[in-house]
Amino acid sequence: MDEKTFVTDIEELLEVDAGSLTASIELASLEQWDSLAFVSFLAMADSKYNTKVAPTGLRQCKTIGDLMKLVGQ
Amino acid sequence: MATTKIQGVRIAGIASAVPNTVSAVADAADKFGAEDIQKIIKSTGVERRHVAAPKLCCSDLCYAAAKRLLDDLKWDPASVDGLIFVSQSFDFPCVPATSCILQMRLGLPKSAAVFDLVLGCSGHVYASWVAANLLAASGLSRVLVLAGDVATRGVSPLDRSTALLFGDGGSATALEKDGNAPPLAFVLGTDGTGWKNLIMPTGIQSARHPRNETTAVRQKAEANNWRSQDELFMDGTEIFAFTIREVPTLISNVLAASGWTRDEVDYFVFHQANKFMLTHLAKSMKLPLPKVPFSLKEYGNTSSASIPITINSELGEAIRTRPLKLLMAGFGVGYSWGACTATCGPLVTPPVILVDESEAWQC
Repeated sequence: MDEKTFVTDIEELLEVDAGSLTASIELASLEQWDSLAFVSFLAMADSKYNTKVAPTGLRQCKTIGDLMKLVGQ
Repeated sequence: MATTKIQGVRIAGIASAVPNTVSAVADAADKFGAEDIQKIIKSTGVERRHVAAPKLCCSDLCYAAAKRLLDDLKWDPASVDGLIFVSQSFDFPCVPATSCILQMRLGLPKSAAVFDLVLGCSGHVYASWVAANLLAASGLSRVLVLAGDVATRGVSPLDRSTALLFGDGGSATALEKDGNAPPLAFVLGTDGTGWKNLIMPTGIQSARHPRNETTAVRQKAEANNWRSQDELFMDGTEIFAFTIREVPTLISNVLAASGWTRDEVDYFVFHQANKFMLTHLAKSMKLPLPKVPFSLKEYGNTSSASIPITINSELGEAIRTRPLKLLMAGFGVGYSWGACTATCGPLVTPPVILVDESEAWQC
């Protein structure tokens, strides 16, 4: 799994244009990063990366790159 | 481990009842915006909810369900020697027990053992487990489990995480001694570390945080939601994480306890938490979606009534005529969870009953 694929997954999850995000983008700057997106991310981490993400870890993430570290990629 | 296999107890009938007043989720567009409403509906699967008028109590809904079920089963109320009311919505929180009032209203004998249990999403499974154990181990021969909540009460209309999710409902499940009944298997569990993630902080009669004039004031919370301390708080992210952590194991354990294979199960009847969660659980456990019935669209999340409502509304036609192998699982507030396997049917199960405010108990 490379960074590009992971960022694409997040773009699909948040329903934003392909190529519009990068790993360094701050999550707080994305209006789509809301409570429904948190839950969608936990679901994706579980089904796609086989990782049960703890919500406390999720809350500490500042960037998309941090999310990638969280799922162990 | 709280794992039990029970012989000689039969589920004879299931009825459920909801208020006749319906609230369409789309009508809340003026509060949250049409775009947010569509996102919420897509995620929760809830389009309509039955919302109790002010005078209706949970016990009124359970009473209507129980009355109809006794009639349909042709059970003389005098033959019912146990009643368990499981809820978080009581007539007089909490003195006296609502089950005592229901014993009187239903005309159960004075020799009946009746009591309340306090649980939400897991309540129907827990109370059925208690009832089945009582029937198997004590002298009781017929027990009613009345499960439900008026979950729309105590929810802030300005909190999008809860305002459009819950519906009101009550139910009655009739269990009786029957030497020929196939075995029931149960697995129960608890993780109290999740207590703060689904809570009414200064709920009625809270001894930890008594209500006062400031706890009733709605304040701005996360994501532009507004709610007071008296109202329900739900951390949906934590609840989702808890569910995907515990429920797959719960399902495996109850299958192991029953000796059933996954393929043998006709229907997996889950507490109707929300559509996104149930769909994810089904996919991650590789359950075929047609075997996972949903009643969220019409009734929302009705707490401990959601399993009986789903059986009535989605499986009624099939289960009235033939036995079905059901795996029922409730999980949530507490955190508390329970699952049960039962071969049910042909089951006495009327269509979901609609209750008018005029049917509220006049005391």
